[in-house]
Amino acid sequence: MLTQTWLPRLSFAPVNTAPRGDTLVVVFLRGAADVLNMVVPHGEEAYYQLRPSLGIARPDDARKKKEERAVDLDGFFGLHPTMSPLLEAWQSEQLAIIHACGAPDESRSHFKAMELMERGVGDERGPASGWIGRHLATLNTGNSSPLRAVGMGTRPQRSLSGSVPVSALRSITDFHLGGDLRALQQMRTSLETVYANDILGQETLSIMDTLQKLDVQNYQSPITNYPDTEFGLALKQTAMLIKADVGLEVSAIDLGGWDTHFAQGSSTGIMPSLMKDLAEGLAAFHADMADYQNQLTTVTMSEFGRRASENGSLGTDHGHGSMMMVLGGNVNGGKVHGRWPGLGEGQLIGPGDLAVTTDYRDVLSEILTKRLNNPTTNEIFPDYQPTMPHVII
Amino acid sequence: MTLSRRDFLKLASLVTASAALSSCAPLYRKIAGDLPTVPWTSFSSSDFLALNRITFGARVEERARFAEIGLQAYIEEQLDFESINDFACDLQLSTFKTLNMEANELEGISNQLFDGYDREKVPNELRQATFLRQLYSKRQLYEVMVEFWSDHFNIFMDKEKEFFLKTVDDREVIRKYALGNFRDLVWASAHSPAMMIYLDNQANEKSHPNENYARELMELHTLGVDGGYSQKDVMELARCLTGWNVKEHFWLGDFVFKEDIHDTGEKNVLGLSVQPSGIKEAEQVIEMLITHPSTAKFICTKLARRFIADNPPEQLIEKAAQTFLNTNGDIKSVLRVILLDGLPLAQPKYKRPVNFLLSALRMLNVETDGIALHDYLVRMGQLYFNWPTPDGYPDYSEAWQGNLMPRWQFAFALIRDELDDTKHNLNALLDVSSSGILQDDVDAITSLLLGTPLERFARNEIIDSVRAAGATEEETRQIIAASIIASPAFQWR
Repeated sequence: MLTQTWLPRLSFAPVNTAPRGDTLVVVFLRGAADVLNMVVPHGEEAYYQLRPSLGIARPDDARKKKEERAVDLDGFFGLHPTMSPLLEAWQSEQLAIIHACGAPDESRSHFKAMELMERGVGDERGPASGWIGRHLATLNTGNSSPLRAVGMGTRPQRSLSGSVPVSALRSITDFHLGGDLRALQQMRTSLETVYANDILGQETLSIMDTLQKLDVQNYQSPITNYPDTEFGLALKQTAMLIKADVGLEVSAIDLGGWDTHFAQGSSTGIMPSLMKDLAEGLAAFHADMADYQNQLTTVTMSEFGRRASENGSLGTDHGHGSMMMVLGGNVNGGKVHGRWPGLGEGQLIGPGDLAVTTDYRDVLSEILTKRLNNPTTNEIFPDYQPTMPHVII
Repeated sequence: MTLSRRDFLKLASLVTASAALSSCAPLYRKIAGDLPTVPWTSFSSSDFLALNRITFGARVEERARFAEIGLQAYIEEQLDFESINDFACDLQLSTFKTLNMEANELEGISNQLFDGYDREKVPNELRQATFLRQLYSKRQLYEVMVEFWSDHFNIFMDKEKEFFLKTVDDREVIRKYALGNFRDLVWASAHSPAMMIYLDNQANEKSHPNENYARELMELHTLGVDGGYSQKDVMELARCLTGWNVKEHFWLGDFVFKEDIHDTGEKNVLGLSVQPSGIKEAEQVIEMLITHPSTAKFICTKLARRFIADNPPEQLIEKAAQTFLNTNGDIKSVLRVILLDGLPLAQPKYKRPVNFLLSALRMLNVETDGIALHDYLVRMGQLYFNWPTPDGYPDYSEAWQGNLMPRWQFAFALIRDELDDTKHNLNALLDVSSSGILQDDVDAITSLLLGTPLERFARNEIIDSVRAAGATEEETRQIIAASIIASPAFQWR
């Protein structure tokens, strides 16, 4: 009722039936993160020539203080010092890095690149839904939870859009109607009536009931604290939803602010504080979820990388090749994957950018197939034939 | 009621003198005879849809006017916005001193010397003013276009000096030319300090070009991403734009062209050979971009998406684009085509949060200072001037579906008068349009909010369900009004 006949209807017929696999946490670094300063190719001389001011010193560079040097990973790559909270997961081989990874699109436009990546398509002609949306739509896990897929924040991410309704969640505590009990009961009844034929409305009502049982304020991670940031809160609430066993299969989280054209900072500053937020958040989440590592995979991505050389504003312009991180109990970790294309003359592409040697869809396809029980990658990433990068054991 | 300018100023000072804005808000309405409670009749769904595209939500007196003169005349009346007396709204805004200040004044009142900047005062006033204009201005189509261009030339107020520069951009760029000429809009935006800083052109220098503004000028402001430019064109235009900058000391926040950091070499943008001529180089390119067929198509597609459908008909875009080119970007002429040719083909659009809030407030003759609505806009994801990336708030339905909870919360709180300094006038409206019998009241409420009453069966079902939950007659009216606002049908316009 009150659903006018012209309203778009929701319908889907999943092609696969399988038990649900891991909960997938997708962290999108919006604005094109400068991955060359996150996972630093300190073994490459060209890096220091391209970045005389912004470059992160070699791990053994005695002229610099320890907190200004990269933290060595494998003799060639090193983490930015603010990312060292992730070292423990790296050492326990639960963190894999895929460098020079990204999408083929070379528009260097945030919007176009983000849109294509979230839709999981090679060009605009592909389906308008998101890659996660199509994953949900093609896999019947027998899970009808309204919290099957959640976009942390005020709106669901484009990657989640599709025929399966998803929820946006800024805070678990925001999810109540207020008012006195009597009026609330009347309103709830009336909403049941007006949303009788509307899946989204029915599910919102049931989320309301579910979330009343959770208590964010008194939730503490047993091991380590989440950073007191929006990103930290998003990860904390993801942990709570997983532990409350409310049917969460996918959580999409954004961390923005990476478009650092101007004064991005080397070992301290704008970008280092973003990296700190990212690394501390992921490390806290990883530690909090220690008992769930066999049911959990976390992946980070960004729409593209930044120019290999620094610009005159002590920042970096739009580039190409990016980097992904995969975190979880079944990850082929402690390893930087992917062929490193180099930063030397003749190795950079376009206006001077890191090349892409691993397509981001290879990484996601492997996770979907091996950890989320969805083999339909040809529908999730149409017109793309993935090669497994062996990021998952 | 007519008032001379002198009367207006006298009243304005009276208003300024009174302390709490909210407490005197009804004063403007009384003086102007505003928020009339006129009876309404049910509307055909196409008329209701048309009126809700031209306005932020159909007020009862707008329904009456529309019924009286018809769609075409209504559009003409709205296009001729300067002839519409907007006295009550202007009067209410006369207390908002920052709206008319220059950049250096705005910086001055925000600067707390040893305490850094107050980054809230100026944005809050601009946001509140934007809200009140959308709610109370009688120049609705003009305000709808102001919103459209604010998205098109998006600026994020949280970035650096935007917290005070955007107020100038809003006044001198967006509001000045919202129903003028597209050329003037782009021209003003390109010379707008707020835009220079938002898209990093103040860091664009000969020795190290920054291509951010150059790219968005082509990708988002004129040609569109598939408009036929290359990475090379972006870099060449960036060179033309070196030196387009913002004053940092005297006349802080004003536009300035800095000759000394301008790249004086030859450039070539989109096949146009640009000879060294300082500020004229980029201006020459801008003139070319404005009249480019890709620009006409891109702008008309976006307008048709706003007014007609998420995926607007190709023929409509073609015709509007032709008008755009023939009139050299006259916005009124283009809108006439989009609305008159397009509205009969309109498809449902999911209300964006601003539209959802405003439509409920306008239809229920709500009196408010808007402050209590701020948090709802945050939670629904559409606080004014708060979209970080230069593409502006999304304008397709899919982007906004799925976040129902804050909409329900708003509907519930509004009808129960639980929002601070916010009061609806449903009862006064019902007094003039209904018999007072519950069934008639529910018909009047649904006709008010959805255009036509529900069919009898559906109406009785909802009444029965609420009464079965133990509601009194008065509670039933309230709960039904709240759940109509919360309902699926009301989320679409």
